[in-house]
Amino acid sequence: MASQIKILVIDDDVDFRESVKAILEAEGYIVLEAASGREGLEQLVEHRPHLIILDVMMETLEEGYGVNQAIKFQDAYADYRQVPIVMVSSIMETPFERYPRAEEVEMIRPDVYVTKPLDVPRFLEIVKKAVEKTKPS
Amino acid sequence: MGEIEEQDCIVVIDDDYAMRLSCRQTLSKSGYPVEVFEDGAQGLEGVARLKPALVLVDLKMPGLSGMEVIARIHEIDPNIVIVVITGYATIHTAVDAMKAGAYDFLPKPFKPDELRLIVRRGLERRRLHLESRQAEIERELLKRRFVTFVSHQLKSPLAAIHQYLDILKRLGDTEETRARQGEWLDRCLVRSRELQQIINDWLTLASVEGETFSRQRVEVDLNEVVSGILKAYEKTAEESGVSLHNELLGNAYLVRGDRNCLSVLFDNLIINAIKYNKPSGCVTVSGMEREGEVVIEIKDTGIGIPDKYREFLFDEFFRVKNGDPGKTAGTGLGLPICKRIVSELGGSIEVESTENIGSVFRVRLPAFSGDKEAREHSGEAE
Repeated sequence: MASQIKILVIDDDVDFRESVKAILEAEGYIVLEAASGREGLEQLVEHRPHLIILDVMMETLEEGYGVNQAIKFQDAYADYRQVPIVMVSSIMETPFERYPRAEEVEMIRPDVYVTKPLDVPRFLEIVKKAVEKTKPS
Repeated sequence: MGEIEEQDCIVVIDDDYAMRLSCRQTLSKSGYPVEVFEDGAQGLEGVARLKPALVLVDLKMPGLSGMEVIARIHEIDPNIVIVVITGYATIHTAVDAMKAGAYDFLPKPFKPDELRLIVRRGLERRRLHLESRQAEIERELLKRRFVTFVSHQLKSPLAAIHQYLDILKRLGDTEETRARQGEWLDRCLVRSRELQQIINDWLTLASVEGETFSRQRVEVDLNEVVSGILKAYEKTAEESGVSLHNELLGNAYLVRGDRNCLSVLFDNLIINAIKYNKPSGCVTVSGMEREGEVVIEIKDTGIGIPDKYREFLFDEFFRVKNGDPGKTAGTGLGLPICKRIVSELGGSIEVESTENIGSVFRVRLPAFSGDKEAREHSGEAE
């Protein structure tokens, strides 16, 4: 069942991608990798994944938020707006702290926010739940 | 535009009709929007509504006393400047009012010019105060971002190591994991070395900043320092196919500084020149002395630094992404350390670079002028 589910991991840390890939592949997911926000958006259009794992701090401090915002609001990505996004960062700073105004949070809120290193069982639960909506039937 | 008007709005609270009138006339003529009120209660309502920059308040009024009004105004906004008007300009009342938070006082009767002067001074003080508050907020924000950044740099390698160990334990003994196990363990070692290097560099940077590391000022020959470093990197360079050239040989390049510090400086620059070079590239260290300055150049034939990154090069934790995952990433602290050391020693560092051709790092340090400094020393001794 999981064999057709594609997950895109956008992170500039090669080791994070590698280990997440191993975790997800062991569960039967297909994993796509992107090392930057730009590359991630290209892969999104090309492969139409069912879920995105998105790092916050890449080349810039807010690169992940930029990607999140682009997918949610730019016309170019209108077709992918429903793809759930799990944001990850080693920093214990939630989007709610970064964007103190409630309406801003509402606008850029990722579907889930988790911290690195991943709590693997919990992470897999989150992934499973997130792809429920978008997985191929 | 509205903001400026709002900022400069002035409120006058005085029970004396003639006083309200003359204040309004004088200040309006100077271009300030003015609102006047005849007692404390109405005045406070006005202050809450208008958010003025400055309030003139009579100390002796029926109803709410001037002192009480002062306190309440600052409850509304502590940045409002308060000037008290008093008919009984005793030191006591003035001091009490200032203790309660008033900025200054104006004894009755006063001339229009005196009023204008005190208002202008009060507004100027407010402007300076607000500016410094703003600067403080910006500094605070910068500090917070920096802390976020530092913790991110420290946590990333740790998170990577943790996750590899976690999957090694979790994924169990399948054929596939066995095949990748060795690679994952190697990555753990690479990342833990990275973490150690970041911590070491961080400590170096902190000690240079704390001046404990760079305090010593002795005569140092840079030829000696550079030759030692080049010798130590001979093998590393050979492995990368990079040749090293020392054009300082045969000359002494004397500066005044801390030997350890200068070693760290040139060590960083030379290892960068080797690391960011190309196979069969070369690193050339040359020097000259002119106008009381020693200039050392470290030139490489490497990948160069794209223009857009040039201005961030000496920022803490900045790393140029060169898209080559095979190379070990630096800590992003080497060049900030160099910059810090050079400026501690009263010199400067600059870079010239062309992408794919190479970079030149140029260090300028004040030359050690033996005679002059010896004279100064004997002068001190006398």
